[in-house]
Amino acid sequence: MPIKWVLPWQPNAGTTASSQIVNEVTQCVESMNGVKDGRWKATLTFYKPMLRDQTLASEFPRDFLGMSLPEQPSKYYFIIRGQRLVLEADSSIQTIMDKLQSYKARVSLNFEGFQYQLGDFQLRVGKVSPTHSEALRGIVMEVEYLPISSMEKSRQMMEEFLDIWQDALSKRSLPGHFVHLEPNFADFGLGDLYTSQHTAVQYATVVAQVISTVQAGQAVRN
Amino acid sequence: MQQQQQNPAATAAIQNVAVQSNSAGGSSTAEAPPKQVALAMDRLSHAARLIADIRLGADRLLEALFVAAQPHQSNKPVKLFPNEDASMRQHLQDLRSIGKQLEESGVLSESLRSRSNSWGLHMPLVCPDGAVVAYAWKRQLAGQAGASAVDRTRLALKAFTDQKRRFFPHLDEDLNGQDSEPNVKKHRSLQVVRETREEDLSDCKTLLDVLTRLEKEVPNVKIVTYERLDWSKRASSLPSSANENPMEALKEHNFHTSNRMKPVSLGNAAPDKAAVIELFFPSIFRAIVSLHPAGSIDPDAVAFFSPDEGGSYMHARGVSVYHVFKHITEHAVMALQSFLGVEVETALYSLLHWICSYQNLFTKVCSKCGRLLAMDRQLGLLLPPIYRPYQQFSAFKVSSTQPNTSVKDQSSNLARAYHIGCFSEDT
Repeated sequence: MPIKWVLPWQPNAGTTASSQIVNEVTQCVESMNGVKDGRWKATLTFYKPMLRDQTLASEFPRDFLGMSLPEQPSKYYFIIRGQRLVLEADSSIQTIMDKLQSYKARVSLNFEGFQYQLGDFQLRVGKVSPTHSEALRGIVMEVEYLPISSMEKSRQMMEEFLDIWQDALSKRSLPGHFVHLEPNFADFGLGDLYTSQHTAVQYATVVAQVISTVQAGQAVRN
Repeated sequence: MQQQQQNPAATAAIQNVAVQSNSAGGSSTAEAPPKQVALAMDRLSHAARLIADIRLGADRLLEALFVAAQPHQSNKPVKLFPNEDASMRQHLQDLRSIGKQLEESGVLSESLRSRSNSWGLHMPLVCPDGAVVAYAWKRQLAGQAGASAVDRTRLALKAFTDQKRRFFPHLDEDLNGQDSEPNVKKHRSLQVVRETREEDLSDCKTLLDVLTRLEKEVPNVKIVTYERLDWSKRASSLPSSANENPMEALKEHNFHTSNRMKPVSLGNAAPDKAAVIELFFPSIFRAIVSLHPAGSIDPDAVAFFSPDEGGSYMHARGVSVYHVFKHITEHAVMALQSFLGVEVETALYSLLHWICSYQNLFTKVCSKCGRLLAMDRQLGLLLPPIYRPYQQFSAFKVSSTQPNTSVKDQSSNLARAYHIGCFSEDT
């Protein structure tokens, strides 16, 4: 499967992500001959265990994440970052969890927007917002290089793409930039050949950054 | 030759006219050009008649001399001589005057041409070879038509040669002498390449030899040969990039095709039936070369694909769905033609070796601009360096120890890569 980098938006200190920035980013993609291809949407859910005895809560991981990805409609992914665990399951696991009442969804985030084709690259620009509200909490971008699947072999190409991209974006003087946070995939037991599990792990990393950014922004306001 | 107008009856009239024109004066500058041209034409015909008369007179004199030489003749010939002498002298005198008039009016020397009031007309011209051209520009036109035909032919030949040089560079070796410097150098270095090739060629005559040698020199490549139908089956069974578990699909297929998936260096097709060569660089690309006829070392098609691509469209004449491999395939087709044109026996080996130079496709920066990824202005696509030079490509650089600079150029050619936009004919 083609390799992909997931890049969160890092706003400058004292600023927050906004729809205006999303528009500017979109325009930048189009200026590089990007062709709009359709919509995309991914959902990430924070779970908390349903326990009769709350004192046991500390034995359960705090960040138990579940993720659904658009390119794998029949799968569901679980990530526990603290333990470096990632699991691919069938999407019916959600109904099972419901029926068992073992875990409850605490917070759900939507990543959604438009996707673009740039030759052999595919770009997705998305807003991050809680499921039941339209408030924009962050921006993410997915960059995919379609012809190859090896992380190592594609690294140079992706880095150069990022350089070209950051260069093009910097001309718009936006209050922030996209960052590339690379989790240690080997820790999660993932190999060089890219898979959706890699994507799930990247999102887990990204969402942590988005949340900390939002909290930092709120702290500044307060 | 001069026009022959025999009109002795009109001689007297002509003489009158000649006298008249004499009195009219030798110069004709006061008259308009058409009149001048008409006068010149008249004078020319007069001159022709006078010349005819002079000939007749000379004949008569000779006859009279002959008669006078006979023994029993009367005085007739004696009376003839003075008459004849007088008329001859008159004829010659007239001729001289007409000649002067013609000369003055520019018929014999084209001097009228330089006069500004000629109205574009030219005097009838007596050419050096004796031909009389009524209108000098007629000859000029004829000459120009001939000249322009030569020019047009020359331009057409030049255009054809340029196009031939551009699209079939390997045919340039046939040109001789009049080439510019780079062509001559190429010609010489091609000769060197051919010599080195022929030295090392002796052990690479069969498909097996070629593949074995290639495997030794390029350790990363996986080479497999197939019969043509077997390749179609394999291509269709190859997982497309959406499938995350290629091994499962392969295992399924293995059940039906036994050991086809084993990358055995000797190939799994019988050597005399091998029609498709697959060159696989894991995670980088897959190249398909077709041989025709099967079992030979004559490549007839080549195509590049993504390592994750699969489908029945994957064959030596197919096209990848990805832009990068699509453009490499176009370049490879030209390279194949070039290798076949330079030397057919080593074409397959050169082609396979050249294909292997793409193993650094996603890491080697452009030798001109120094970057890996660049936006191609014409295509509007971000691409890595797609071009690797194939002219003067020598697959035998490893064994060559010649101090010849052209060989060094070839070996450094192997290390070069260019973006489409960065590549120019001079590199």
